[in-house]
Amino acid sequence: MSAARTLIRLAALWRKEALALLRDRHGLAALFLMPAIFILVMSMALRDAFVPGVPADLGYAVVDLDRSEASQALVEQLAGVDLLREFGALDSERSGRDAVADGRIAFVLLIPQGFERRLGTTAAPAPDTPGLRVLADPTVPLAVRNGFRQQVEAELTRLQLGTLLARIGRSLMIPELRDVATKAPPYPVFVEAVRKPTAAASTRSASALPSSVQQNVPAWLIFSMFFVVVPISAVFIAERQHGTLQRLATQQVSFGLILAGKLLPFFVVNQVQAVLMVLVGRYLVPLAGGEALTLPTGAASLLALWLMSAAVSLAAVAWALLIASSARSTEQATVIGGVGNILMGAIGGIMVPQFVMPAGMQPLTDLSPMAWALDGFHRVMLRGGAIADIVGPAAALLSFGLAALVVAILLNQRALRALR
Amino acid sequence: MIAIERVSHRYRSASTAALDTITLDVGRGSLFGLLGPNGAGKTTLISLIAGLIAPQQGHIKADGQALADFRRTHPNAIALVPQDYAFYPMLTVAENLAFFAGVQGLDRRQQQARSREAIRFARLESVDRQLAGELSGGLRRRLNLAIGLLGDPTLLLLDEPTVGVDPQSRHFLLDAIRDLRNSGKTVIYTSHYMDEVEAICDRIAIIDHGRVLAAGTLAEVLGAAEPQLQLRLDHDLPQALLERWQAAHTVTTPGTNCVCLTPVPVAALPQILHDLAAHGLTPLALNHGQQNLEQVFMHLTRRSLRD
Repeated sequence: MSAARTLIRLAALWRKEALALLRDRHGLAALFLMPAIFILVMSMALRDAFVPGVPADLGYAVVDLDRSEASQALVEQLAGVDLLREFGALDSERSGRDAVADGRIAFVLLIPQGFERRLGTTAAPAPDTPGLRVLADPTVPLAVRNGFRQQVEAELTRLQLGTLLARIGRSLMIPELRDVATKAPPYPVFVEAVRKPTAAASTRSASALPSSVQQNVPAWLIFSMFFVVVPISAVFIAERQHGTLQRLATQQVSFGLILAGKLLPFFVVNQVQAVLMVLVGRYLVPLAGGEALTLPTGAASLLALWLMSAAVSLAAVAWALLIASSARSTEQATVIGGVGNILMGAIGGIMVPQFVMPAGMQPLTDLSPMAWALDGFHRVMLRGGAIADIVGPAAALLSFGLAALVVAILLNQRALRALR
Repeated sequence: MIAIERVSHRYRSASTAALDTITLDVGRGSLFGLLGPNGAGKTTLISLIAGLIAPQQGHIKADGQALADFRRTHPNAIALVPQDYAFYPMLTVAENLAFFAGVQGLDRRQQQARSREAIRFARLESVDRQLAGELSGGLRRRLNLAIGLLGDPTLLLLDEPTVGVDPQSRHFLLDAIRDLRNSGKTVIYTSHYMDEVEAICDRIAIIDHGRVLAAGTLAEVLGAAEPQLQLRLDHDLPQALLERWQAAHTVTTPGTNCVCLTPVPVAALPQILHDLAAHGLTPLALNHGQQNLEQVFMHLTRRSLRD
């Protein structure tokens, strides 16, 4: 068979797939609308979770039962820390408990009577002397509760140090000695995300942490790429059920040619998805009040990004062909493919970032091809990696795709043998 | 055109052969009717000729060449029009035709010319921009046939091409199939409609349980059948008379008070009429003579229900 004849046949197969997809509204929605909405919504919903220094919508209030100079100093010190939203003062422990129980305030700090007196003494306190207490909303994550407690302890230490220095200052006739501890601002501590040196040329500051849009665009792009399973299986199963594959076989269209006829159009669809989702992250998310997606600008990084996108696409199309080959009906393929994608997304860190998962569950992410894909994209987008950095995840995805393709071919051969 | 020589085929999961040493000749330019009840082996035979499966025993030749070689040298010479609507409902009529012309390797000019010709032949001009999934049953059958003609095949395999269509579309399809035969194409046609086969086929074969039960021209098949007597009586046939006739004839009762006896030579008629009178029965209707195709088919394949 001449190459020209093969090309004509492939072109017919590609055109058919393109037309079928263009008329499949549900397939188009799953491929383009769903990820765009997810990127927009999730980037906004998780915006604060990825930005350091901005108080989340968690707040605290203080019930000061001591009403002393020391207790007032502690309240001021806490207010000076960019920690949580400050709701001000409450008048009693009862009102504090009600506010926490109703979920209006995450924390209430109870400063007991005798706080200042105890702060300045070295004597052991009476057993029934109350300490500082933090009333906490049980739905607040343990890490946040611990963070608040540590901040209170730190401010308390500063206050105790200030009291001690005041005494020494009075003895040495240096009254301003106290201010060294209580008035001086806390020594700042910054968190810096460390990138590959190649990312220094990026438009985004190399020391900044990733924004939620940078996390969400690759995550939901990968998720949507795997949803080619919907249109691919719909057409493939219809071809099998309606005798179209049989008709194509009498016209000597091999199964390999049919697979090739599906690979390229959906590879192109995946690349269009990638471009569109980047545009959503770059232009649509900022319109909604989020931060714009930034990409590495170096040619090596951009090439690495495209290679990752290509590897994900090949894995996704092969996975779709495997589902289409093994399912008996379109409904079965949609359920198996859809649930499979959701499971891969759930354990792969698409829906819930891996670092949020319990420690025992985190190793499971290694099982998901979507996690390999996300890792590859993060290596380039967040850590400024180049081609050498994505070899691992890209090779894993290509191996997965090849294995899926081989199993799909074997399943089809077995189905054909059953007919003979 | 097609010579099937002692072909046998048994599916892996089956305990009996789908085809058992079948031998048939389909002449060039003939319209060959392939008849048989469900499970007789028709589809297997069609699949073998279409090259979808290879015979386990025996040979199939096309124009004197082994079928596989013929298909290699004449890739578009054999076309199958399956019973299913084997096209894409989400594509228009014209898009379907362009696609199936394209996968046959026809260049753009040929694709357009053949598509136009197929549309004209199947009279699909008024719906060529309509989605195939929105066509009526008759139009779908016509599109199914039109797709089969795109490669200008010399042998067309039609698997029950008139199932589920209205009488007008059925007549159109039968005329179209006749036209194809008249234009020199060889057509192998399977159907459950005996009147269709009688009307258009010049040669037929009746197969069942993978064997050829009768083959030849329509006249040969009908002529070889034994004469039959059909009776409609005024009362039920008494058991004693039924048993008496069963000793000499095959007796069936196709309806209330109706009896069919086979074979019944003319010389046996007086005795049968005498038997009726002796049992006090009067024939309300009597028909003696050559069986029609349906009667031959039912006689050869027996009347038991098939899956």
